[in-house]
Amino acid sequence: MTAQTDARVGVTATVNGVEISRSVATRITLAQFLRDDLGLTGTKVSCELQVCGACSVLVDGAPVSACTYLASDIDGRTVETVEGLSAGGSMHPLQEAFVDNFALQCGFCTPGFLMMAKALLERNPNPTEDEVREYLDGNICRCTGYRPIVEAVLDAAARMRREASGD
Amino acid sequence: MLPVFDIARPSTVAEAVALLDDDHVAYWGGTELLLAMKMGLLVPECLVDLKHLSELRDIRQDGNRLLIGAGATHDEIATSATVRTLAPLLADVESRVGNARVRAQGTIGGNLCFAEPRSDIATVLMALGGSVRLESVDSARSVPITDFVLGPYWTAREPGELLVAVEVPIPAADGIYLKFQVTERPTVGVAAVIVPSTEARRLAIGAVSEMPRTFEFDDWSQADPQALAGELEPVPDLTGSVEYKRHLTAVFIRRAIAAVEGGTA
Repeated sequence: MTAQTDARVGVTATVNGVEISRSVATRITLAQFLRDDLGLTGTKVSCELQVCGACSVLVDGAPVSACTYLASDIDGRTVETVEGLSAGGSMHPLQEAFVDNFALQCGFCTPGFLMMAKALLERNPNPTEDEVREYLDGNICRCTGYRPIVEAVLDAAARMRREASGD
Repeated sequence: MLPVFDIARPSTVAEAVALLDDDHVAYWGGTELLLAMKMGLLVPECLVDLKHLSELRDIRQDGNRLLIGAGATHDEIATSATVRTLAPLLADVESRVGNARVRAQGTIGGNLCFAEPRSDIATVLMALGGSVRLESVDSARSVPITDFVLGPYWTAREPGELLVAVEVPIPAADGIYLKFQVTERPTVGVAAVIVPSTEARRLAIGAVSEMPRTFEFDDWSQADPQALAGELEPVPDLTGSVEYKRHLTAVFIRRAIAAVEGGTA
């Protein structure tokens, strides 16, 4: 067929621990779905070219640019957004470390940095400064506050290792 | 906003191949395709979603070849023990493609079929003498990467063909890939390797021109970085003029050769 009207598909997924079921148009991106359908506006949209990292979220633990990822592709998967970091009512160690290290200015890039940092620390709990810089090199902070961001991620990694070892 | 389209989710490779044509295009990570659709450069009627076909993500040794399923992501290839052992240079390049999100979603097959002129993957595969396996409803063929990439965003793949796997001859050439990158894509990438079967010295130079170029020598002393850079036709853009890019390319050729010579001396 020549598609003129939106094709729709059913999506069942777990978003920040909550199961959702929706019918979505195939052309809706995950960023549009999170913000417009679910009201999760913590995920920011900026370049829309998967270059800036503002819309970074995790799908089954892997980082994706929600601006360039179809909402229909989360079917059967688990999505984590910045709202999920404090879902239990207390801040995630990454959020605490960002606050304590003054790792944000305007804050627009922060949700993306937090989610990328979470993905990094899940695969590498003890990264070097170079590894942090390399993993986050696809995230842009237009306030240029990179140094405190890197320090916050290293600090959070140390806090999470201490928690994990029970010290 | 993306244009309107349908999604098909075939359950076998045969079903997928039967669907492909000009208006029904293969869809994996979407890291290139969805961008092109957003910009209105491509308006397919239907995306043929191949993500669920696990057989297209297989990475294994098959005799004297390393076979990488076209649907393997950059991150899967970079972290694969098989690739790291059999073709360490490819694993290294894959670990530095794009950014961490592109590596988690983008596939080697999608990267090659899109033929973005600054693809690190096409350049390193040329250095490694790699080829691609293409299948359609009634044909199957292997095409060397050097014959597959025909120009910017242009390959030898027919609309009804699916790139199912990438093949790298083993023992694979080893060496180094150096790139200079200030934006999301490299300004220049230079692979310098020694081919095990012939001891030939091979250079593959990508990103700087409309498509990667390869050069072979009996000895590195025959490679003149300045002259080689002079043979290329750099594309001027925001990352530099023709003159600047020629200079940069010569510097990176010299550094790559020095690194490989140092490693093998």
